[in-house]
Amino acid sequence: MAARILARCVRSLNPSLVSLNRGCGAAVASAPLGLSRCLSVPAFGRPARLTQIQYSSPLVSQLRQYGDLPPLTLDSIRDRVLYVLKLYDKVNPEKLQVTSHFMKDLGLDSLDQVEIIMAMEDEFGFEIPDAEAEKLMTPEEIVQYIADKKDVYE
Amino acid sequence: MSKLPRTALTLKQFLQRQKVLGLYRSMLRTIREVPEEADRKYLRDWAREEFKRNKEATNQDAIRMMITQANNHLQELKTSLALAKS
Repeated sequence: MAARILARCVRSLNPSLVSLNRGCGAAVASAPLGLSRCLSVPAFGRPARLTQIQYSSPLVSQLRQYGDLPPLTLDSIRDRVLYVLKLYDKVNPEKLQVTSHFMKDLGLDSLDQVEIIMAMEDEFGFEIPDAEAEKLMTPEEIVQYIADKKDVYE
Repeated sequence: MSKLPRTALTLKQFLQRQKVLGLYRSMLRTIREVPEEADRKYLRDWAREEFKRNKEATNQDAIRMMITQANNHLQELKTSLALAKS
């Protein structure tokens, strides 16, 4: 959205301002991260040709995620779940399997299980309701649950 | 003979257990709001110790008392957190 507005501004303002602000425009073009800092008047001096390239190239727009995180996949969820579990001090990382049961295989108690689920909430940034939380007893189930909630499928 | 294992909980015990775990969960949720990292850790350890200390308790009345007590603590914590934030 912002890019579209910017592009329109550039097209309308370009003839009058391009000579004035060419210096700043070049700086902006070479360092995309400086864009927000330079968004005020000087940024309008960006050469229109360059804007159009950025605007129309599908590659660039796909790489941008703005504030969003990279998309989740089953593998990345599994890795993150296992990573959180390995950091949890009562879990023995060597014994940890995707299928291991928290209480039967890893020797944790029900309080540990509650803490693990809370850690998962922290990691993935959403809340797991109590009724669901107490059913999650293996890393596999956690991965499956998160994938369901986040609409991740193979 | 019942097919249930001997250690199976009765319905009342089961519900009480759920209550305790739910309490622990809301305790941790509340503690998560505490701004200071050191305080957070202290409170988390404290909550865990308290729950663990009484994990052998079987007397239902005693457990009920403890649940009430924990609820009081939780309320207290929530009140002071709200005060600290305002």
